[in-house]
Amino acid sequence: MSLAGLQSWLLQEGVRCDLDTITQLTVRNELDNLASDTSVQSSASIDWPRLLLAGSILARSDKRVDQEAALRVATAAISLTDDQALKDAGAVLMGKLSNFRAITLATDRELVEADLNARLGIALRLEAQRREMDRSILVQSSGAWLQVNDFQQRFWTNATGDNWLSASAPTASGKTFLVLQWLIDQVVAGESRVVVYLAPTRALVSEIETNLKELLGNTELVEVSSLPLTDKYKAARAGGARVILVFTQERLHLLANVLGDVLSVDLLIVDEAHKIGDNQRGVILQDAIERATRANPKLKAVFISPATQNPEELLSDAPDGVQTIAVDSDSSTVLQNLIVATQVPRKSKLWALTLRQQGSELPIGVLQLASTPAGLKKRLAFIAAAVGERGGTLVYANGAGEAEEVADLISQLLPKLEPIDLELSQLAELARKGVHQHFRLAPLVELGVAFHYGNMPSLLRLEIERLFRSGKIRFLVCTSTLIEGVNLSCRTIVVRGPRKGKGHPMEPHDFWNLAGRAGRWGDEFQGNIICIDPEDKQAWPAGVPGRARYPIKRESDAVLDLGDGMADYLSNRGLSDFSSIEDKDKFEQVGAYLLTTFMRLGSISAASLAKRHDAASIAKLDQALGVLAEQIEISVDLAARHPGVNAIGLQHLLEAFRAYPGDVENLLPAEVASNDSYDRFITIMGRVNEHLFLAFTPGTRIKLYALIVVKWLKGYSLARIIRDSIDWHQEAGRSFNLPELIRGTMELVEQIARFRAPKYLSAYMDVLYLHLREIGREDLIDDGLDIGTQLEFGVSSTTLLSLMELGLSRMSAVALYEKIARDDLSREGCIAWVYERAGQLHAMDIPAIIIREVRERLALPDEPAK
Amino acid sequence: MPAKPITLGSLHFERRGDAIAFLKAILARYDLGDRVNADDAVFLRAALENHPDSANKIGCGITDFSVRSADYGTRCFWVNRSDGTTEKFSITASIRG
Repeated sequence: MSLAGLQSWLLQEGVRCDLDTITQLTVRNELDNLASDTSVQSSASIDWPRLLLAGSILARSDKRVDQEAALRVATAAISLTDDQALKDAGAVLMGKLSNFRAITLATDRELVEADLNARLGIALRLEAQRREMDRSILVQSSGAWLQVNDFQQRFWTNATGDNWLSASAPTASGKTFLVLQWLIDQVVAGESRVVVYLAPTRALVSEIETNLKELLGNTELVEVSSLPLTDKYKAARAGGARVILVFTQERLHLLANVLGDVLSVDLLIVDEAHKIGDNQRGVILQDAIERATRANPKLKAVFISPATQNPEELLSDAPDGVQTIAVDSDSSTVLQNLIVATQVPRKSKLWALTLRQQGSELPIGVLQLASTPAGLKKRLAFIAAAVGERGGTLVYANGAGEAEEVADLISQLLPKLEPIDLELSQLAELARKGVHQHFRLAPLVELGVAFHYGNMPSLLRLEIERLFRSGKIRFLVCTSTLIEGVNLSCRTIVVRGPRKGKGHPMEPHDFWNLAGRAGRWGDEFQGNIICIDPEDKQAWPAGVPGRARYPIKRESDAVLDLGDGMADYLSNRGLSDFSSIEDKDKFEQVGAYLLTTFMRLGSISAASLAKRHDAASIAKLDQALGVLAEQIEISVDLAARHPGVNAIGLQHLLEAFRAYPGDVENLLPAEVASNDSYDRFITIMGRVNEHLFLAFTPGTRIKLYALIVVKWLKGYSLARIIRDSIDWHQEAGRSFNLPELIRGTMELVEQIARFRAPKYLSAYMDVLYLHLREIGREDLIDDGLDIGTQLEFGVSSTTLLSLMELGLSRMSAVALYEKIARDDLSREGCIAWVYERAGQLHAMDIPAIIIREVRERLALPDEPAK
Repeated sequence: MPAKPITLGSLHFERRGDAIAFLKAILARYDLGDRVNADDAVFLRAALENHPDSANKIGCGITDFSVRSADYGTRCFWVNRSDGTTEKFSITASIRG
């Protein structure tokens, strides 16, 4: 019998029975509120020596199922037995799986006595030591050796040199941790002077920025920034402190726009790189990568993605002559238990739990609920509250409103915590002062429950995530934001009929991107995924999805694969009235990318994407693009500055400016302090809609959009914008629902003021400046901070910008700015202002979490204890 | 009642309605948020001086005029004063019969 044959036999027959027993027992240990069950076998009947031997044979396999079985045996030996020799054997087996963090966890929890190696025989000790050496990497910058798993080691080995690398591994593989270590090594001990770390969401940008700053500590050798400002970049290029810029794709474009042709990035890291397939923003990411590569063809690129099918796809656009390598891992570092929950017939408070494994099902037990779950939200809430009582429980809700309601229901089942933990009450304070006195989050977090969605201010969200990781928040109800790029894992995830965005059932790879977060490597041995009502066709139209990996496909390729849609869209896009064209949101961004590419190369057949599509459809596109390009006077450089904005739209806007009969000064936005500002933005947004693209829809909401943009630019806090909106509703005698008003305001800020407005208004300004130069009115051109950056950060005063340059979140910067009289303070001026008042910040009614951020970022001494 | 002639700057209107139509035509040439140009401002200044509440409307002095939104989705002229304050005024109210 071959080794593979032996492994297969062991799993299917040899130790199947014992494996089922330990699986049942270890999974039961994970779940709370199970009814006692006499049918469950005890671990006394297990032949441990035989099972451990089987485990060590299975550990030699590369197959995921074999590795999982070995890890199950090791975990069971450690947690189910009292015999120290068996526990030690379990730990040795974990060592064979290179799962050193699990051994550390077992030792920390006193499941295994400390100093394991001293108890091993000579042969085993030598083997263990050799393995530890083999599985260690040297961090050059610190001189420290890190113990790593197989994936981490392959990443580290292959990341050397100039090649492009694409790494893919499941969530709990220690990817981010290792990549950040490696990145710091490159900057501190390597050649990289300017590094750009692309993360697809602002939340992830803040998280990575914070992690990097913590890892770097107090060094003056490296700067970390998430602002697209040129000073740190220029200093690094001139030989000063090196810089790591953590950006979204849009921010990289903003920086490139300010720097022009001189942008030169040595190392580009693209996190969550599968997002290159995202609708509307995927092509912006692709464009950012290509732009950085064009500016420096010697750039080294590293792509990171969660479990993906084809990480090598990201390497296909590497410049000629650059070596590429994909590092792929499918092995799991923690056990992931996929459990389905079905109501026991006629017993609404009893739910049967069944573990789904490859092709088989294993009954685990019956969950008892405290109350009858009438309605779907209660079902989700009550099951989560029961099964995940001990905490680390993530609940998936479809939408922000539902997340708030489910969190509220869970909180009602929990005992009041007395006294309330200090960090939880500080988070509640931030929610009350930073959002609204009656924001639902505040009373919930005091009970250890929170909700979490995309449009929340990042300071609030990061603190929620931090306290969930630390265990103080025991239940976190989240939305699909979580699969849009937030690094968060949990012990147990509870889900029923998950949808992505507004109503689409999740594809298997999205579901597993979510489910894969169950299991915190190094904190837990197992993670649990609880799927409610698996047979319900409305909840799960295609059943609970089997394990699947994410297929990487560029948004541009996906749109081109739709057939002639793109060519037809382009043919119609040149019409002066394009309001009736269908599927604008699907085609506009990619259409803009294709047109700019055509303008640069004279034909898209010369572009990298041509090799992925048939020649006939490329020729057809070329023809449609050629017709458009003939009408365009806008230069390719100007078009390239605005990814996702169509050059033909820019051209139409230019023509509208030329035909404008009035005073050209009226085409410029008015200063935000001016009385004209709000009305001027209304007109400008209307102009954008008419000539450039229908960006601000529906047209009836333009006034609201303009109002939000003005308040945001004025540096108003979210709390103030919300308060103003409430006042307006009350004065106008309009009814409103407070939670909806709060969510709606957050959405307006994020989606309009920080996304649509900067994108289209900065294009508007660029074309307007072109027109002003044409007519000899350069005097009207302002070379200060561009409107895109002002809007992205919500700043128009020097003081506010200086505070954000110091690394403060906008929420903290605005809270301080409300207390600072002068609007023209430099960074040094702001530091001096804060130092003078270091002891009085609490007395100024500034939330404690904001004071903490100010202290950390400005390196203030700690306040003396009272 | 016979129509009363109105004078706005250098222009003379036989009827009140003509003066109102003239000013409304100016209003229509502007977009929301626009600053009114110096030529048109002459007529607005004259109209405002004719306003029944002209002293209060003019206040510390006129800098210039804007077109902005007013209540219920309408648009109107606003006077911008030298102290930074601003106030809307109605065309029909400023052209007294």
